[in-house]
Amino acid sequence: MGNKTVLIIDDSITVRQQVSLTLTSAGYHILEACDGQEGVDCVRAHAEIAMVLCDLNMPRMSGLEFLETIKGTAPAPPVPVVILTTDGSPDLIGRAKRAGAKGWIVKPFQADLLLAAVRRIAGTSSS
Amino acid sequence: MPPTSNEERLAEILSQCMAELIAELGIAAKHIPGVQPHLATHGSTTAFSGFGSGDLRGSFTLTGPSAVFSRLHPLPPTVTLRDLADWACELVNQATGRFRNRLLAYGVRLAMGVPQSVLSDEVRLSSSLRPGRSPISFAVDDMILEGWLELEIKPGFQLPENPSAENAEALKEGSLVFF
Repeated sequence: MGNKTVLIIDDSITVRQQVSLTLTSAGYHILEACDGQEGVDCVRAHAEIAMVLCDLNMPRMSGLEFLETIKGTAPAPPVPVVILTTDGSPDLIGRAKRAGAKGWIVKPFQADLLLAAVRRIAGTSSS
Repeated sequence: MPPTSNEERLAEILSQCMAELIAELGIAAKHIPGVQPHLATHGSTTAFSGFGSGDLRGSFTLTGPSAVFSRLHPLPPTVTLRDLADWACELVNQATGRFRNRLLAYGVRLAMGVPQSVLSDEVRLSSSLRPGRSPISFAVDDMILEGWLELEIKPGFQLPENPSAENAEALKEGSLVFF
């Protein structure tokens, strides 16, 4: 069985590189998207995606809009999503939870916590 | 003297957010109080983002030589000018994100804009102070990271003296929760 695939959606190249570096070194395969719309397209095109790490504040389509969009259209069960954002507002956390998010990480992320979250949601890299 | 006006206190909070952010990057930086003369540089990077609520709106701008953003970049060996512009945006995003999180405890809920960046041979910001504009700058090695907070505050708004436990508390930076 191949390595698990994680999709990173963030408009920052640097954040995508940081996350990618952390996860590829643990054996995960990475796909990247720079906003929610590209993320939706990627989820629809890649059934192998095991989980998504998604920023909130992005141009074109926000992370919450991404969540609400894939909730209605993704194959069942929808791909699990963890939000990775600078925002720690309880209101937004509640909205994301209601929209189906599985977790929330406030940037800047700690590499070991990020990896723990991915292992818990997606499983180990090649399981 | 402790800050007294809304503008001074908000600038103090944002300044603390910037200091925390730079420290978490593992870089020693020194806050520079007051206005700094703009240092014209070849190869400037500038990033800015807006925010607003019912009571106040404003923007935060970071500018400096591209080398200062390279020094602050978490993956320095790989950086290009495009990466530096991107990282400048992310620094503004993370600084204003902390600012928004801190203000929640004061009952202020900010909506955030998407950061934008400019790469230029020379970016010149007016160094004259005008009402609602506060410098938030840091010395990083022998370079200056110049920051400006601009605010427009609704007449009658008063930032509470202290954060209150009655207000919603934001999840702290670096936190992880599962649902």
